[in-house]
Amino acid sequence: MIPVFRTELAKQVRRPRTFVALGIAALIPVIATIALKANPPTPQGGGDQGLFSLAPLSGLLVPAAALRFMSRFLLVLIVALFAGDAVAAEASWGSLRYLLVRPISRPRLLGAKLAVSGLFALAATVLITLAGLVAGLLAFGWHGVTIPFTSLSQTAPQLLWNDLLATAYVAWSMAAVVTFGFFVSTLSDVPQGGVGAAIGLYIVSQILDALTSLGTIRHGLPTRHLDDWIVLFTGRGPNADMFKGVLVQVPYIVVFGGLAFWRFQRKDINS
Amino acid sequence: MSAPAPADAVISVSGLTKRFGEVLAVDALDFSVDRGQVCGLLGPNGAGKTTTLRVLVGLVFADAGRASLFGRPVHPSDPALARVGTMIEESAFVPYLSGVANLRLWWEAGGARWHDADTDTALAVAGLGPAVNRKVKTYSQGMKQRLGLARALLSKPDVLVLDEPTSGLDPGEMREVRQLLRRVSEQGATVLLSSHLLAEIEQVCSHAVVMDKGRLVAAGPVAALMGGEGSVYLEVSNVRRATSVLRKLAGVRRVIPEAPGLAVELEGIKRSAVVAALVKAGVGVETVTARHRLEDAFLGLVGDA
Repeated sequence: MIPVFRTELAKQVRRPRTFVALGIAALIPVIATIALKANPPTPQGGGDQGLFSLAPLSGLLVPAAALRFMSRFLLVLIVALFAGDAVAAEASWGSLRYLLVRPISRPRLLGAKLAVSGLFALAATVLITLAGLVAGLLAFGWHGVTIPFTSLSQTAPQLLWNDLLATAYVAWSMAAVVTFGFFVSTLSDVPQGGVGAAIGLYIVSQILDALTSLGTIRHGLPTRHLDDWIVLFTGRGPNADMFKGVLVQVPYIVVFGGLAFWRFQRKDINS
Repeated sequence: MSAPAPADAVISVSGLTKRFGEVLAVDALDFSVDRGQVCGLLGPNGAGKTTTLRVLVGLVFADAGRASLFGRPVHPSDPALARVGTMIEESAFVPYLSGVANLRLWWEAGGARWHDADTDTALAVAGLGPAVNRKVKTYSQGMKQRLGLARALLSKPDVLVLDEPTSGLDPGEMREVRQLLRRVSEQGATVLLSSHLLAEIEQVCSHAVVMDKGRLVAAGPVAALMGGEGSVYLEVSNVRRATSVLRKLAGVRRVIPEAPGLAVELEGIKRSAVVAALVKAGVGVETVTARHRLEDAFLGLVGDA
């Protein structure tokens, strides 16, 4: 597993697209910080705009604000890009068959590619946090905050810890997108297919989540708890919804990951 | 139909059948290749050659029958494939990596160390010079093909399975590849190659397997498949009369109408004597073209199938 993981990692690291995707992940928080510094918003309570408007109170809130707006679409797009063409791109180049006759066993190759996709999804999320942290500290400094309207206070180390927790939570929340995109990637020789499918899953989940008449079914949607980590900054800390958000990813990983391995093991490689 | 493979068969295919939906790509195919042989897989487009090679290296699952390497059935990613150099259809690489990076990452993905690869032979075959450090997306088809051959040779393979290995190469490069295949064979390797170039099969291969519509048409030593002493293609003023004359002529093995003329297989008669006989019978001869013998055999076999 290790040699093929290492070579798959080397291929991904040297891919120009990887630099572009990770570059965007790092650049947007910096641009947002400059905008916040130039035109500070009026602080609001918790919720959608709240975190962004609170960011000028401490540089340690900028990573959270960056995660908040990036996880809405851009992070999903980047993650879908890494996972959705992991196998299909290799098939479209025709190099997949040469890896299999090297020989590398199909589960081993798939495991390495899935691990690399997951690693880069994590790297993109971490990069958003790091870029936000560096830019935020430079623009607004290192200090604790008292959140307006709630009078909730957090020290600087608490904020940093919550940034780390939020990063891990957001990265984990991408798991369903990663495994679904990866699964579709094993079905197709067209890289755009897996990428589109992964983004499609996210969009459909968001749309279904907006249909209140679906009732409790919505709790099983992969994006249902995507934003629940915000309570780390506006509430009293991790809550039951965050725990549900962690658990809801598991069936998607098991089902789509399992399907990817099952399908690829039986597939004729005609690309 | 399915005969047991000879004990020293390195490659054997027995009752192999593969269907893609409604299309029967390979139909109960049997053949074997012994150690040290260079065997050509011949057939028109759609004959099932590439599918057969893909089954043989574990990329495609057979619906029935089996393909074996070194006397054992092949499974996907079979460890035996480490002894096989492969080139299936066109050479394909990661486009944004250099030629040498492609070779190295492919080699190391198998858990081997780069300095254990036969890079001297492989890079000499590739013959890319400094271009080996350029991104593959800047390569011509011929450069990719040569790099593909280099990849197939990195492990000093006991068996080479090559699909159209000279496709995209210029005549000089084709000759080099043919010489390489002969050299590899002389060193004891077994080669199975598919080709549309009948002259190539004739020059390089000791044996040939002829396929058509997924089925085996003929198999054996190339010399035996060619039979006869050659053939000639004639365009004449009166095809019917010429056919009648030639069929009675001693030394003519077979007359095959091929519009607008005739292909004539010869056995112990010179082309000039054939022309003389036609002229004597009042048939005007417009063109006389010597033909590759294997080409005639191939067309005859596939035409008869």
